[in-house]
Amino acid sequence: MPENGNYMIAAYILVGVILVGYAVSLYLRARRSLRP
Amino acid sequence: MRMLRVGRWITAIGLVLLAGVYVRALSFTPIEQSQGLAQKIFYLHVPAAIWAEMAMILVGLSSIFYLFTKDPRLDRFAASSAEVGTIFCAIVLTTGPIWGKPIWGTWWTWDARLTFTLFLFLLYVGYLLLRGAVPDPAMRARYSAVLGICGMCEVPFIHLSVYMFPTLHPMPIVLQPGRPKLPGSMLTTWLLSLGVFTLLYVGFVVQRYALSYLREQLEAVGEGGAGGGHA
Repeated sequence: MPENGNYMIAAYILVGVILVGYAVSLYLRARRSLRP
Repeated sequence: MRMLRVGRWITAIGLVLLAGVYVRALSFTPIEQSQGLAQKIFYLHVPAAIWAEMAMILVGLSSIFYLFTKDPRLDRFAASSAEVGTIFCAIVLTTGPIWGKPIWGTWWTWDARLTFTLFLFLLYVGYLLLRGAVPDPAMRARYSAVLGICGMCEVPFIHLSVYMFPTLHPMPIVLQPGRPKLPGSMLTTWLLSLGVFTLLYVGFVVQRYALSYLREQLEAVGEGGAGGGHA
């Protein structure tokens, strides 16, 4: 079996970072808009 | 604002379930013998690709209806779906090369499926840039609706590119005529991941829609206040 687990780990971390990052960006943008 | 809170909750649940998908994919799903662990990238890459394409189809459909009805809610939805689609398309274009390097031996090749997907991403970016560049709301909505419809027309080419052109990209193994060619446990993980990506799409779009609505309301209040000042 090929040894390529590091590629899989990189992809999983990257997807997590992109999705969590976008969720945080939406949260911060909404908070900024709601600020009086 | 209620819609914003609902969107946040859906997103939070989606992210928690995504962690569950990670655990299931990494620990409870068998390793494919010929590709090794890199094959598990498929559980994130394919659902993201499906929603990157679906998001553009929804942008196109809402744009068509917008041109007929001029309902600002449809334009707001199209803008929200396009932004979320850009995020999913970015996932597709980054996880694909990470899988391609160990399996194909190269990060990128100008294969039909890859090139069409890159084109979709550029259409998304163009759509968002266009929305940012046109200040008049009615004109912005009309121009971006036309671009959204063009984007929707590209999606079938992405899906059918593996049949239409000689390609390195694997043929569909789930979204194809007939039964999926995946063993049961792998198919379950894939379906769970697709469900989570669906939830994340909904959560993100609801939040983004609420954000657009909020900004429009604030702008309207600001303009009203400024107008009052002049009067």
